[in-house]
Amino acid sequence: MNTEPPVIEINHLVRKYGKAEAVNGLSIRVEAGKCHGFFGRNGAGKTTTIKCLLNLLQPTSGQVRVFGLDPHADEVAVKSRLAYVPDYVAFYPWMTVRDTLDYLASFRKEWNRTTEKELLGQFRLQPDQKAGALSKGQKTQLALVGAVCADPELLVLDEPTSGLDPIVRREFIETVIGTYQEGAPGRRTVFVSTHLIAEFEGLIDEFTIVENGRAVLAIGADEARSRYKKIRARFAGTPPAIDFVDADKVRQEGRELDITVNGNSEAVLERLKLLRPESVSVDSLTLEEIFVAAAK
Amino acid sequence: MLVQLNFKSGKPVYLQVVDQVRSAAASGVLRPGELLPPIRVLAEQLRINRNTVAKAYTELESQGVIETVAGKGCLVSENNSPFKKEVRRKLLADDIDAAIVQSHHLQVDEKDFLRLVQERLEVFAEKNRINADKKQPGA
Repeated sequence: MNTEPPVIEINHLVRKYGKAEAVNGLSIRVEAGKCHGFFGRNGAGKTTTIKCLLNLLQPTSGQVRVFGLDPHADEVAVKSRLAYVPDYVAFYPWMTVRDTLDYLASFRKEWNRTTEKELLGQFRLQPDQKAGALSKGQKTQLALVGAVCADPELLVLDEPTSGLDPIVRREFIETVIGTYQEGAPGRRTVFVSTHLIAEFEGLIDEFTIVENGRAVLAIGADEARSRYKKIRARFAGTPPAIDFVDADKVRQEGRELDITVNGNSEAVLERLKLLRPESVSVDSLTLEEIFVAAAK
Repeated sequence: MLVQLNFKSGKPVYLQVVDQVRSAAASGVLRPGELLPPIRVLAEQLRINRNTVAKAYTELESQGVIETVAGKGCLVSENNSPFKKEVRRKLLADDIDAAIVQSHHLQVDEKDFLRLVQERLEVFAEKNRINADKKQPGA
């Protein structure tokens, strides 16, 4: 049925810096059209992995495929179909915004002028401003405009919103991703590494949490929220001391019991009700809370 | 705003959109023939992925709640489900069964249950009246 290769396929990737293993047996698969979150703490191996996707680094072992191609052997074929915005962007300071975009466009087969105009307007970037005079946030905005205008099939973003103020971060999420996906609905793939997870809550279709160079959780966002729950029970007196072996975490505070569960909320709830609590509430964890629970 | 999302409810995001549009159509907040926001606009308003909104609209279309008109967008259908009456009755019966099960566990008896159904029907009828007045000022 679907014979198209995944947009990103990483199998048992290992990348060492000397003896230190930055990535240690990581596997990830991203199908076309998905918005995939790549979450991990500082030093978990996110940027190293992204660099292996882009042939900026060579894997020590393991396999990396982008559009079914080897980013090293087919570097041009891979790079002409994707755009990458690193966490720190730099432009030639003597070029204007206009020059910079023309320069970026000169490397591309396609360049979407309509999108360019729309995004420049929304970000209030003046075409005659010198790139050297732009603030850090404006430079990131310029890099994003440059990435989206090339109409790539895959957009790779490494900490795209770090260093941006909250208003610009909102705009980024509302407009850049929206504009990008609208270009070819259902076909545009986003691979975004971030630790500002809450901001991407609604945008993420699925995500991988990486810890010490390995995937500790790879799951769809809706499924994650239905599996990870926090149950709060309030008792008339001190909560009975019971051992919830199947709970991820139990915390007692006064007359309240906070129980974090992964996939077995029904069973825990059932047993909890036998203890006759005064009130019980069940909430799903947000993606950020799931991250904290999984990457501890 | 038409849709309010709650990421803590544990309910898939697209289903939250589906249910709220259905409920808006049932209470007259959305009237037949009225346009829904374009996919991208709603996605940006809610700060969610356009895939999610697209999935919700596809589901609403398959349920006959909305229809896509080329060149115009998605609009609320005249109240006609694509299903035969038998099927519609069966679908509703399943939901009523779930409510009956719930009422048993909450110790709500038959009389109370029926009274509550009546009350809720009146609430929706009232909402429809209010929304109809809003849409026709001076009428």
